[in-house]
Amino acid sequence: MNCLDYRRQLLAGSGEGDAMRVHRLGCAACTAEWAQHGAFEEALRGALQVAVPEGFVERMARAPALRRRRFLAAAAGTLLAAGVGGYAWLARQDPLAMACIDFVMKEEAKSIMMGPMPRDEARRMLAGTMPLEAVERVGQVKHVGPCPFNGRNAYHIVLTVPQGKVTLLVMPGYRMDGPRRAAKEGMSAAVMAAGDGSVGIIGTDVAVVDSVMGALKA
Amino acid sequence: MPANFEELVRTHAADLFRYAFWLARDSQQAEDVVQEALLRGWRAFPRLRETAAARAWLFSIVRNEFHRARGTAAPAAESLDGLELADERSELIGLELRDALLALPAAYAEPLALQVLGGFSCGEIARMIGVTEGATMTRLTRARQMLKRLVEPRARKGAKP
Repeated sequence: MNCLDYRRQLLAGSGEGDAMRVHRLGCAACTAEWAQHGAFEEALRGALQVAVPEGFVERMARAPALRRRRFLAAAAGTLLAAGVGGYAWLARQDPLAMACIDFVMKEEAKSIMMGPMPRDEARRMLAGTMPLEAVERVGQVKHVGPCPFNGRNAYHIVLTVPQGKVTLLVMPGYRMDGPRRAAKEGMSAAVMAAGDGSVGIIGTDVAVVDSVMGALKA
Repeated sequence: MPANFEELVRTHAADLFRYAFWLARDSQQAEDVVQEALLRGWRAFPRLRETAAARAWLFSIVRNEFHRARGTAAPAAESLDGLELADERSELIGLELRDALLALPAAYAEPLALQVLGGFSCGEIARMIGVTEGATMTRLTRARQMLKRLVEPRARKGAKP
């Protein structure tokens, strides 16, 4: 390790590893840099620690339950008013597409945290349903990993397209007819047949979901 | 380890607010984002199997909620009016750095907030914001370089008799 490596790693903020420490102990210039950097990091931590509004934590701890009660009361009123029409609208929401949205809202972060799978393995596992190369023609693949989904083995892809982030759930061996759709809480999902299975496409904008679906079909 | 959602909120809400603030650069918008994010989190919490990953999970929900809300919300007013420093001891240098942080592009400020406030590694941050680990390290390095560049001339000026 040289001085440039040392300072570059210091600026990345990952902490001082053994190799860095060995270098510093033999280098007066980097020792001085290390001392200055420590003071800077302390100031940076202080600067980022903006004061939290008074009572904020308490309000947040109680807010979901209060909002939930208001939401349930409003939903009950709406459903009573809408009657059969409201029920029919809810029924149009496809359960598999809804499960795709739930995955993004509740499981995606954990799935990403589990780490990606090797590219060669991803290419092999996706080949029969949605070849990785076809996905890469649509956008930039940020993550591919296996994930349990809806009682099956599926593959989770995080894709960046010009309009933003889109999630794909590739489900080999799960054949279905026609696109299925659902929308809730600001998210939209469409599930389409693909190869020997199906693919769920989930995003915050239905137009982007449709656009990605069209591009994957092409 | 938090056993229920309320305990989870009490543990992490302050850091979630700070993270949301550095995304939105606005205290009121940060509060709204965290409130909506926690509502989503509360609904999803019964199905959260690994509470060890709860912190990263909550930060990700806040991030998603911020980007979802940004589509309809007014542009963030980059103002610190009325926002107090958490630690009076660091007041002088903190004010300089705060100004510099506000001048920092969001692409650099966000990974920095995740690293310093969230305590996440470069790999975790890379997965959360959807870029490579190398790109994350580059952004973190540049963020610190920019901050030092912005702060040091002021510090030198202030040091003159």
